[in-house]
Amino acid sequence: MSAEAAMAHAALGHDDAHGHDDVPDDAHFGHATGGKIAMWMFIAQDGMSFGGLLLAYALLRVHATDWPVPVHILGIGLTAFATFVLICSSVSMVLAVEAAQACDQKNLVKWLAVTIGGGLTFLGIQAYEYHHLVERGIGFSSSYLRETGTEVNDLFGSTFFAVTGFHGLHVLSGVIYLTCVLFKARTGKYTQGGISYSPVELVGLFWHFVDLVWILVFTFIYLL
Amino acid sequence: MAHAGSTKDGQQVQSKKATFFTIFFILAVLTVIEVFVPQVYSAEWNSHTKMLLLCGLAISKATLVGLYFMHLKWEKPWLKYIALMPVYMGVFAIILMLETVYRQVGR
Repeated sequence: MSAEAAMAHAALGHDDAHGHDDVPDDAHFGHATGGKIAMWMFIAQDGMSFGGLLLAYALLRVHATDWPVPVHILGIGLTAFATFVLICSSVSMVLAVEAAQACDQKNLVKWLAVTIGGGLTFLGIQAYEYHHLVERGIGFSSSYLRETGTEVNDLFGSTFFAVTGFHGLHVLSGVIYLTCVLFKARTGKYTQGGISYSPVELVGLFWHFVDLVWILVFTFIYLL
Repeated sequence: MAHAGSTKDGQQVQSKKATFFTIFFILAVLTVIEVFVPQVYSAEWNSHTKMLLLCGLAISKATLVGLYFMHLKWEKPWLKYIALMPVYMGVFAIILMLETVYRQVGR
């Protein structure tokens, strides 16, 4: 686009607020930045890691004859609330990305802080749940329900802590990642127009992935 | 003209926000339904209905997050193909599970 055409484009109100004009149009990936493509490849690989864990869980469960009904042991109400918190944090993350694209630093910082709060709440609930389960006798290597005095298949506890713990580590990583972005957002680094918002979009993709995986983990580990 | 353009941009932002809140509302409702499914279908004879319903709900929710919150709906096909890579593993998982169930039925 020539300089004159670009000026006319901007004057007509067609100036791309999302900075798409800063990234050359690619036939396969459009205006996606290299960072965005790399993040998607990371997410795909990480998704397969979770897929492997859930596949192992499913096969162990199918072959076990004494697998307990998860809703009889795990606290569904509290975990459903944690799921709701994570969904809320996904919405606040979307709003943070929108604010960054609109060069609105104040709202960007606000929504990033809300998202971090959601992540910390989720981690707090998970820590409380782990503590409660261990007190009741459900451990990583052996499981025995103290209140009823019944043996529980040891693999139930092992797979539960392995899958939810792996996800919890992702939430923790996301909170740390978001905190780093928040500190830089306070300096106005991501609200300078063009594609300066890109790092916020990348942390957003990671955070939504963490939410997406939890939706599947919640169903397969807790409800089925 | 510039004013008309900015008004249009403002309307687009509002419409996108409305979409995000609609998706949030749908996700919240589906989560509530999900929590009640194991209670409604708790008997052994309808465990398959429970499994199908829960899997359907989970896949619907995950798809909504991917399409709208992760913006896949507005991306070019190649990013969608990358995002679909774990789904191929899901297909592999279903084949393995079916094989396992088939062997158990045959015993």
